[in-house]
Amino acid sequence: MASSGQPVVLIVDDEEMVITSLRAYLQLETEFDIHGFTLPEEAARYVETHPVDVVVTDYLMPRMNGLELLARSKGLQPEAARVLLTGHADKQSAIKAINEVGLYQYLEKPWDNAQLLLIVESAIERTRLLRDLREKISQLDVAHGSLKDVQARLLKAFL
Amino acid sequence: MTDRELETLKMAELGRLSAGIVHEINTPVGSILSNNHVVERSLVLLRKRLEELSRTAEVPPKVMQLVDTLQSLAGVDKIACERILAMVRSVKTFARADEEARQADINALLDETLQLALPTFRTRIEVERAYGELPPVGCYPNLVNQVFLNIVTNAAQAIEGEGRITLRTCRDGDSVEVAVTDTGHGIRPEDRLKIFERGFTTKPVGEGTGLGLAFSKDIVETRHGGSLRFESEPGAGTTFIVRLPVEQSKKRPGE
Repeated sequence: MASSGQPVVLIVDDEEMVITSLRAYLQLETEFDIHGFTLPEEAARYVETHPVDVVVTDYLMPRMNGLELLARSKGLQPEAARVLLTGHADKQSAIKAINEVGLYQYLEKPWDNAQLLLIVESAIERTRLLRDLREKISQLDVAHGSLKDVQARLLKAFL
Repeated sequence: MTDRELETLKMAELGRLSAGIVHEINTPVGSILSNNHVVERSLVLLRKRLEELSRTAEVPPKVMQLVDTLQSLAGVDKIACERILAMVRSVKTFARADEEARQADINALLDETLQLALPTFRTRIEVERAYGELPPVGCYPNLVNQVFLNIVTNAAQAIEGEGRITLRTCRDGDSVEVAVTDTGHGIRPEDRLKIFERGFTTKPVGEGTGLGLAFSKDIVETRHGGSLRFESEPGAGTTFIVRLPVEQSKKRPGE
């Protein structure tokens, strides 16, 4: 998946007001491409078909909770950073989240805008670095493959 | 079921209820707070643009006035939100059940208690705080909060009409002392021996259970190894004095 273009941030919360607030703030401060979803299933479908840099999601939502969504996202786009933004502040769910879905950050509501922005920005940077790394590794693989090929031909020609 | 078990059950239920309320409040307050921040930032940008514009064109004074109004309203909203948040934080501390002992700032605990209790008597009672510098105290903060809430509520109920509650804190050797003084009706000499007894109350039915001070004494003395006493003069007021050791001894009586 390409790392070019504006960073894509997904905001998932069953409360429309949270999406509206976060979108307004991020649009004021950044040029990010922001997509909001009140239904986690729809967010999951989006992740299936579009490159995403960060997923910021609520925890308690009907039908699919935030952890399930992040697990799906991890399976589909492992590099995309996962952030849980929850009003359900309990240590157990935080620990579970960090262990199960490799959470990048755990944030509690009410959130602090400046802190949230810092987290989203560093998450994007991390995602892009991870993608670059994967691309470099695959380039190395290709180079390695062609070197092997050359070596095989050399051996065939001279031995 | 004993009184104590009943009270514990009641507190636990109250804790669950409050935790639910806190959770429900956090999302909308988070939204308002975030929006308020965006509005403030946008107004700063708008003002800047208008000022730039006013150098080359005429900006009607009414427009600037509107920006002023919006900015001051946004400022008020911010303060209002911060007050809601402070309230939510206090409830959170109270609601935390089965808490372990930890180092706590006693002055901050008193402030949390006031935050909760004040709305019931803000209009008629003046509160004066004279906090000394205190070291962190090893204690069960939610239990200590319950003691403070009980004493402050009693103080407010002892005052008929207008009056004053004074909160003083200081360090005294290996202990800290919290004194809550009210200008209320005082405790009658014949009641003095009974006020820490379970079931003793002078309050009307529905206002007092007669358990508050008994539990407070238990929390301070049995759970923390401190002391709870009072000085009172009928007609002039009462002072309750909580003493808590700074360091909790490893083994507490009653455990």
